[in-house]
Amino acid sequence: MSQLNLLHSIPELRQKLFGRFWNPMLVTVIAGVLSSLYFGVTGTFWAVTGEFTRLAGHAMSWVGIDPHKLTYIEQIMHLEGSPVDRIDGWVVIGMFLGALMSVLLAGQFKLRLPKQKRRLVQGLIGGIVAGFGARLAMGCNLASFFTGIPQFSFHAWLFMLGMAGGTYIGVKLVLHPLLLGKPKLEKAAPGPRSFISSTPKIQPWLGLVVLVAAIVFVAVQIAGGHAKLGLAGLFGIAFGLLIQRGQICFTSAFRDLWITGRSSMAKALSVGIIAATLCTAVIISLGVPQKIMWASPGALIGGLLFGIGIVVAGGCETGWMYRAMEGQLQFVVVGIGNIIGAGVLAWGWDHWGLYDKLVAGSPKINLVSQWGWTGAILATLGLMLAFYAFASLWEKRVRYMAKRKGQAVLMKAGVGRKEMA
Amino acid sequence: MAKENQTSQLDLNAIRPTMTLNLEGEPCPYPVVYSLDAMEQLKSGEVLEVIADCPQAFNAVPEEAMRMGYKLIGEPITDGPTIRFYILKP
Repeated sequence: MSQLNLLHSIPELRQKLFGRFWNPMLVTVIAGVLSSLYFGVTGTFWAVTGEFTRLAGHAMSWVGIDPHKLTYIEQIMHLEGSPVDRIDGWVVIGMFLGALMSVLLAGQFKLRLPKQKRRLVQGLIGGIVAGFGARLAMGCNLASFFTGIPQFSFHAWLFMLGMAGGTYIGVKLVLHPLLLGKPKLEKAAPGPRSFISSTPKIQPWLGLVVLVAAIVFVAVQIAGGHAKLGLAGLFGIAFGLLIQRGQICFTSAFRDLWITGRSSMAKALSVGIIAATLCTAVIISLGVPQKIMWASPGALIGGLLFGIGIVVAGGCETGWMYRAMEGQLQFVVVGIGNIIGAGVLAWGWDHWGLYDKLVAGSPKINLVSQWGWTGAILATLGLMLAFYAFASLWEKRVRYMAKRKGQAVLMKAGVGRKEMA
Repeated sequence: MAKENQTSQLDLNAIRPTMTLNLEGEPCPYPVVYSLDAMEQLKSGEVLEVIADCPQAFNAVPEEAMRMGYKLIGEPITDGPTIRFYILKP
């Protein structure tokens, strides 16, 4: 009898956990707390683009370029070994596994390509621009935003400002008729519709297989004496699960504000960053050294380019990872673009004088040493509360204006309607 | 309660969408933009059928449609990864 109950309770539990998406604000708060623990355990912050740059380094050596001669890859990224020898490598592997497990358990895996092929071009070009911008700024919206701001590194403030502007330009671009394109709007087929949802039968079982495989990978690392690598993988699995279940799209936090005024992701992120800031402060005060980057024009310009790139591509450096695991092939293209962009930046750092022109001479501003603990924490919380308040008021303003004009999508100004007519 | 369920069941079976917007494979933000644009072209009393598979659309499309004063009929229906919405222009 109890065995029967157990057999029944597994699908019930699955339905409860994976039958719907999780509340994004709850997810960002959990991710914020976990990311500070990850910092405490590994001594580095949750980040992915550094690893993408190293992957670009590996790719360079396949085509005969020595990545070790590039300052950026050799001295900043410390390219050694392969992804399985690196903490950043394991967090990336873990995120892929966690997201894949989550998608399969939910029964939502589906290989798909956009019908309009221009989306793939957008994905590649946007991905390259975002990859380039992120590395110019020393991190994407993880290391220069979600985990960068809690480090009290002022460069992340510059990046956030640049990203806000960049996403606005990005929205102008993606709603331009050239990129907007034309959807398939047809006369509906006759007959009644089914209003009952269904879940594929096999996918959840495959999800369990991925879960078991992921646990084995982590256990092997820990048993082999690589506790930090194993733990990085474990955190990665949790991060992948969280961003997929919560659909934590950093791109949409700003983009949706500029399109429909929708503020749900912006609010979720500001609260998540507040949680991360408080927990990271505790970890830093316990003696883990902060990660402070150059507060340079590069951080601002990088943020701007990154903002444009992620909106054009449809997703950022973390967004493509879970979307690729959902089977959205466009985002595999975005990921390849990110890696190419990071490689181009690493090359241009020396060869185009990007370091000399945009970064050299800029200070690494640590808000804790500038303003003391109280000042740094209050300023960071103030920034995030201001972001929350701005998102909230902006949403109200957009809705008010839209209602007055009878226009849903504020920035579209009827462009799309002409296209579709 | 039982009676209420029954009526809504009857209502659902009687739903006949006017237009279908197939957005399979289309990434964000296009599902929201396209859906709202298509709704503007519908006449009062007509229903738009939206088929999408961008997971973010699951919340974003109905919420944005309702904010514009349109009515979501029933709940979003998920056929595995594919999501269907029926939106009425009142």
